[in-house]
Amino acid sequence: MDYAFDFYSVLSNTDVLIDGLLVTLELTVAANVVGLVLGFGVALLTTSSIFPVRVLSMLFVEFFRCTPAIVQIIWFFYCVPILFDVYIDSITMGIVALGLNLTAFNAEAYRASIQSVAREQMDASVALGFGPVQRTLYIILPNALRLSLPVLVTNGIGTFQQSALVALVAVQDLMYAGKSLATQTYRPIETFTAVALIYFVISFVVAQCVEFAARRYEPTSR
Amino acid sequence: MTFDFAIVLRFKEALLLGLWTTLQLTVICVVLGSLLGFLVGMARSANSPFVRVPARAYVEVFRGTPVIVQLFWFFFCLPLVIGTEIPNIVAGIIALTLYMGAITSETFRASLKSISREQYDACTALGLPHATQVVHVVLPQALLRAAPTLLSNCVSLFKESALLSAVGMADLMFIGQNISNNTARPVEVLTVVALIYFAIAFPLTRVVTRFESRVLAKLSA
Amino acid sequence: MTQSSPAPLLQSDDRLGTQRGAPAAGTAAPLVQVRNLHKGYGPNIRVLKGLSIDMQPGERVVVIGPSGGGKSTLLRVLMGLEQIDEGSIRFAGKPYIEASPAGRRTTIDTVVRRQIGMVFQHYTLFPHLNILNNLILAPCKVHGENKATATARARALLARFGLEAKAEAYPNHLSGGQKQRVAIARALMLDPKLMLFDEVTSALDPELVAEVEQVILQLAQQDMPMVIVTHDMWFAKNIASRVIFCAGGVVVEDGPPEQVLGSPREERTREFIERVFHIR
Repeated sequence: MDYAFDFYSVLSNTDVLIDGLLVTLELTVAANVVGLVLGFGVALLTTSSIFPVRVLSMLFVEFFRCTPAIVQIIWFFYCVPILFDVYIDSITMGIVALGLNLTAFNAEAYRASIQSVAREQMDASVALGFGPVQRTLYIILPNALRLSLPVLVTNGIGTFQQSALVALVAVQDLMYAGKSLATQTYRPIETFTAVALIYFVISFVVAQCVEFAARRYEPTSR
Repeated sequence: MTFDFAIVLRFKEALLLGLWTTLQLTVICVVLGSLLGFLVGMARSANSPFVRVPARAYVEVFRGTPVIVQLFWFFFCLPLVIGTEIPNIVAGIIALTLYMGAITSETFRASLKSISREQYDACTALGLPHATQVVHVVLPQALLRAAPTLLSNCVSLFKESALLSAVGMADLMFIGQNISNNTARPVEVLTVVALIYFAIAFPLTRVVTRFESRVLAKLSA
Repeated sequence: MTQSSPAPLLQSDDRLGTQRGAPAAGTAAPLVQVRNLHKGYGPNIRVLKGLSIDMQPGERVVVIGPSGGGKSTLLRVLMGLEQIDEGSIRFAGKPYIEASPAGRRTTIDTVVRRQIGMVFQHYTLFPHLNILNNLILAPCKVHGENKATATARARALLARFGLEAKAEAYPNHLSGGQKQRVAIARALMLDPKLMLFDEVTSALDPELVAEVEQVILQLAQQDMPMVIVTHDMWFAKNIASRVIFCAGGVVVEDGPPEQVLGSPREERTREFIERVFHIR
């Protein structure tokens, strides 16, 4: 291998990458807020006793879980303006697409944990005279949140990585910045390696912190 | 605004061809990636840190970066690194195989870890030689336990394979996007493309759920 | 054995004393000789503190005592599942387990180990194999027995335990009592010279306990030597030819069941027995 590495071209353009990273982080955080909130709502709908509500919400979840994220993103960018005859700026569009995708995955995580909230907990809260709304707020939500937290975090990191896909529809995120830098400088190895490293370091550090916290607060039996 | 889904039928052959490419690529990467994942999963349980640490680093890197970045890296950088042109399809297969290997090694590692100490005790009490213990007790249970997750990894890879369109491989997504651009009918074409992916992935995820509960029931004895 | 032990233990010490030398003509050599067994987990937890036992062929020893007293650990050590810190075990006159003083490694003679069978609290059947294959795996792989004869023996054994209809079933389709009977059959397939039972009925529903105990009693009638750890005092009384009360990592009392269970001489034994019988 006789390739002469030149990381200077990357280092001298860090501001471009940082601007991209900020967009990536904005997309990630906003999509996570959408996913955490809507996900719980959708999870409640999927456990509803009204048949059409249940089926439609499950269909929503399964559709997002069973199609490629890139198809969803491109579909949103091309089809939403036509279908609803609106112009939405690309970052908002990215947030909506990524947020709904995350909503589906989080709904599944919430649903699993809602169903595992012990039946006795529900019986006890009925016996204590809680109404349905109070039951949801005081018993189900805290339990479901606690039980599904590891999966929610994993999903959140997943969305951070999937946000790179919006570069394909010209949202100027980290991946987009990397792509254009690679073409401008003719230094794809250095650039893409740097981009990969940035994604990796953030994902890895967040994942490790969460794992550490999880181990601290939930000591395994024995 | 009127929609004309009949237009999609005119491109039936092209879409089916794209689907065929998608399925072929998925199967190749699933097979190669599962084998790789099995070896790496074993390597991660090895005693020697010289085996364990590189294996873990590989898994963390491929799980910690976006697949699209991995794909771009192998497309644009690998030819420069090895100093020769490689066909697009090879770069694509390498990237997705390595990704599949990383997620699958986690599956195998978890299933190996899930075998209880009591099973090993029983093997000792029966005097089973080490090789018998591995071949007849540990591996069959680990594979059985891993099977549902493995299948669900296949579904993931099937979906991730749509990324190959971004580097110009003529898979289902790529052909769908081309038709959509040429006909200016994105709603019809892209919706149908999404439905095709859904029609294949959804039944498979149902199978995974069924399969998983059966495997767990069996192994709980 | 504790130094402070009064009369009954001195008696048994006398008996051991004669055997420690050359055994007198006509007396069989002890089947198991446990000497000064020490075993701990980590630096602070000492489970066995210099435990010694001799067991004669044909004896059925029931080990009772408070949890954490070292009963299960003793059984696991006998099976060769644990490393020990100090001491030795001889089986049928041959060296079996030895702690090397310096290396902190336990040497376990695996050929001797094959003569011992063990049944665990949680069945530990192989869930991916059907009952027949659970039974024949070890004979075929350890002794190189051919599959046909092993299968024939397995079917005969299952028939004896009333399980012939389950030969092709998988463990998850069996009740706890059936699983435990299969586990006993699986251990018997290797023709063990000693059987170890570690709380084999404690995970079972009460109505399933009897069917498992019945099988063990059947074995007892055929003079199978066994060491049994159990919390079931009625079963202990029925099956034991000798009862050992184990607490704090040492043998506190050792004697025939009528004595240890009926009129224990040690205060700690009496307290334990009273408590257990009152709870039941």
